[in-house]
Amino acid sequence: MSDLLTLNGVETHIGQYHILQGISLEVKQGEVTVLLGRNGAGKTTTLRTIMGFSPATKGSVMFKGDTIHTLPTYTIAKRGIGYVPEDQGIFAGLTVEENMKVAIQKDNEETAKRMNWILELFPDLKKFWKKPGGLLSGGQKQMLAIARAYINENELLLIDEPSKGLAPIVVEKVMESIMQMKEQTTIVLVEQNFMMASTIGDRFYIIDDGRTVSHGSMQELKQDEEKKRKYLGIA
Amino acid sequence: MFWLVTAFLLVLPFVYESRNLMILLTQIFIFSVFAMSYDLLLGFTGIVSFGHAMFFGIGAYSIGIFMKRFEPTMVHFLLALVATLVLTAAISFIVGLLTLRLKSHFYAMLTLSLSGLFLVLAEKWRSLTYGNDGFTFRIPEPFIDRTHYYLLCLAVMAAAFMLLKRFTNSPLGRVLQAIRENEQRTESLGFQVLHYKIAASVVSGVLAGMAGILYAMSLRFVNTSVFSMDITLDALLMTIIGGVGTLYGAMIGAGLIEFAHDWLTELAKEHAIFERWIIFFGIIYILVVMFFPKGIVGTLRNVSFRRKKPEPAKKAEKLAG
Amino acid sequence: MDLFFNLTLNGLATGMLIFLLAAGLTLIFGLMDVLNFAHGGLFAWGAYSGLWVYSQTGSFLIGIAGAILTGFLLGIITEKWIIKPVYGNHVQQILITLGLMLVLSEMLKVVWGPNQLTANPPDYLVGAWEVGDVIIIKYRVFIIFVGLLIFGGVQYLLKKTKIGLVVRAGVMNKEMVQALGINIQKVFMFVFMIGSGMAALGGVLLGPYSGVIHAGMGMEFAILAFIVVVIGGMGNFKGSILAAILVGLSGSFMAYYVPDLSLAVNMLLMAVVLLVRPQGLFGAKG
Repeated sequence: MSDLLTLNGVETHIGQYHILQGISLEVKQGEVTVLLGRNGAGKTTTLRTIMGFSPATKGSVMFKGDTIHTLPTYTIAKRGIGYVPEDQGIFAGLTVEENMKVAIQKDNEETAKRMNWILELFPDLKKFWKKPGGLLSGGQKQMLAIARAYINENELLLIDEPSKGLAPIVVEKVMESIMQMKEQTTIVLVEQNFMMASTIGDRFYIIDDGRTVSHGSMQELKQDEEKKRKYLGIA
Repeated sequence: MFWLVTAFLLVLPFVYESRNLMILLTQIFIFSVFAMSYDLLLGFTGIVSFGHAMFFGIGAYSIGIFMKRFEPTMVHFLLALVATLVLTAAISFIVGLLTLRLKSHFYAMLTLSLSGLFLVLAEKWRSLTYGNDGFTFRIPEPFIDRTHYYLLCLAVMAAAFMLLKRFTNSPLGRVLQAIRENEQRTESLGFQVLHYKIAASVVSGVLAGMAGILYAMSLRFVNTSVFSMDITLDALLMTIIGGVGTLYGAMIGAGLIEFAHDWLTELAKEHAIFERWIIFFGIIYILVVMFFPKGIVGTLRNVSFRRKKPEPAKKAEKLAG
Repeated sequence: MDLFFNLTLNGLATGMLIFLLAAGLTLIFGLMDVLNFAHGGLFAWGAYSGLWVYSQTGSFLIGIAGAILTGFLLGIITEKWIIKPVYGNHVQQILITLGLMLVLSEMLKVVWGPNQLTANPPDYLVGAWEVGDVIIIKYRVFIIFVGLLIFGGVQYLLKKTKIGLVVRAGVMNKEMVQALGINIQKVFMFVFMIGSGMAALGGVLLGPYSGVIHAGMGMEFAILAFIVVVIGGMGNFKGSILAAILVGLSGSFMAYYVPDLSLAVNMLLMAVVLLVRPQGLFGAKG
């Protein structure tokens, strides 16, 4: 398996703050890579740096062998990276339908196929198709955000804390959707919920104080009580 | 440095006799006060006003009306002073209260529209203002002598400078600058940001009113042009080109603009293009805002500062916001 | 009855002109967070350039087209060279657009001289219809018609087209629009162009309405437009037409009954809105 995305010694400044101080990671095609770490460690910023919102000031971000950290966000997205932000980024005043329409880049058969899959998996979206996105529940918003990122044939999805603030039953639904999407695309997941992270993740990176401090396969981490305690505060 | 220049200006009228130069310098002193009052808002607090002419005009009309309607005595002069003080303080307070809790656009918009309203008021309330043409008036005895008046304006400028220097270095002034740098953080530190901003707005408004009084008295004439956008633009140009947040910049800017104005008006007699001299300033102004957001003084300071100790350029740019 | 009708018509016509100016302001603000203080300058440039083309070609419609084209061009230049370099810094933006306003109005005087110019409507729009004892001035009806047409057009653009959808999405969340692969810079440019074109159209229509144009009219109307933008809610397109009509009507009636207070009333309205509903009278968006 080859690397789809590589971050090499990435550093990012936001204003005068040095947020990322050395992030290096490799995302393998077809896998779910989970970013773990405490609050404020720099996980969200890592995703935002990949998307080009907070461009890297040092180091490099490579996607499919091309340098992308110098590109504007929209070009990065067009190259095949879908993004589900922490706050879901729903256009509150637009209907569910319109939210999807903004996202659709190509109107072809594949899109129609994906749309069918989405509506089958998330019947709620169909139900509220003509309702403003702002009126959806937290879980439904999450589904819409995931659907928006998945509708295009993206090779990589960046998903930021999809379980945050959701009821356990909804978390399960979201998990199920990610498991299914995994068949089609590569995923980088930021997740605090270790149960969820360890169930769907293949590989993990731990970020602490803006640096990648540890990585390996999810299987290893599950058994490494020491690491879990040290970096994740899980007993 | 400041005192050296002040001392020089103090003895100047006694060693070098030029009526024109003295009148020009008097204008510069007056506009320095006005520009400094503007700098307090823009440079020290990060508030953009597009209606500063309003306070200037209130001062100018107050003195004019008092001198015209009543006898030009010191008593009436003081009354005009008090009237200006009360009016400018009240209006700047209300405007601040209405808009300073909102985004910076609102203050700019409301001051712009309000000063437009005052302009219309001055045009329409003919019984009091004599409309567009304005009116001449006499001034109290002590102010008639040009040299005396020159010295008075110089003194007011020095006093305003010291006052604002004190004010901006005081704990209150530090809070204002903290607001300019990062409003949310200041708020979260427990400061009532709105109160401080309103305070800055009031001090600035009152001072601008004082400048208006001096201006009208120097001309012994007042008309609706004191409320015009041009006056506000003057303050803006002076502060921006001179350098925001420095007070010195405001004075240097005032000097530059007034000198240039004088000079270009002369030139305009020969070449018609110089009648539109404001274009040059407009373009310079745009370039300064874009490339030297700290103005002359700030840019010079940065250069000398950088020589001593390298400083990331980014930070300096951020300060301008 | 005649008087009431005429004041209403007059107010509506003025309202439409203010709307054309305010609509661009509010759209640009909503999407880009930029309050363009040079917008009135585009309005005045529309008036002058339109009148010039009109006088050269003899066709009022070509004049209008010329004005809109001027607006488009100036809009693109403004966005690219003036707004973009200081994007994201509110204070710098406010300052720089005001500087541009200054340059634009002075440039008008350089090109067309400092004196005011007279403007007349084309023959087919001169005069009035008489319906019973009511006199309807044709040109006013024309302005109202054009205003409504533009409103309908932009509304259609916003609601029914992909670019309109993207604009509305951009108003709500700029970052997410980009994350979905859309070049927001192009959208900015587009909106700026449309907004400037509308302002220029307002300017050229004003000429024959008021009979004369002068360089200062940009600022005069800009002030009314600011009031409208605040009352209608910043970034609220539908709110801008309602507020513009409100301001136009109140201006027209006040100007007849208590002329000295007409601007004051609008100012007062704005102050009240700022105090109790800073998000505007219409709609909930802030």
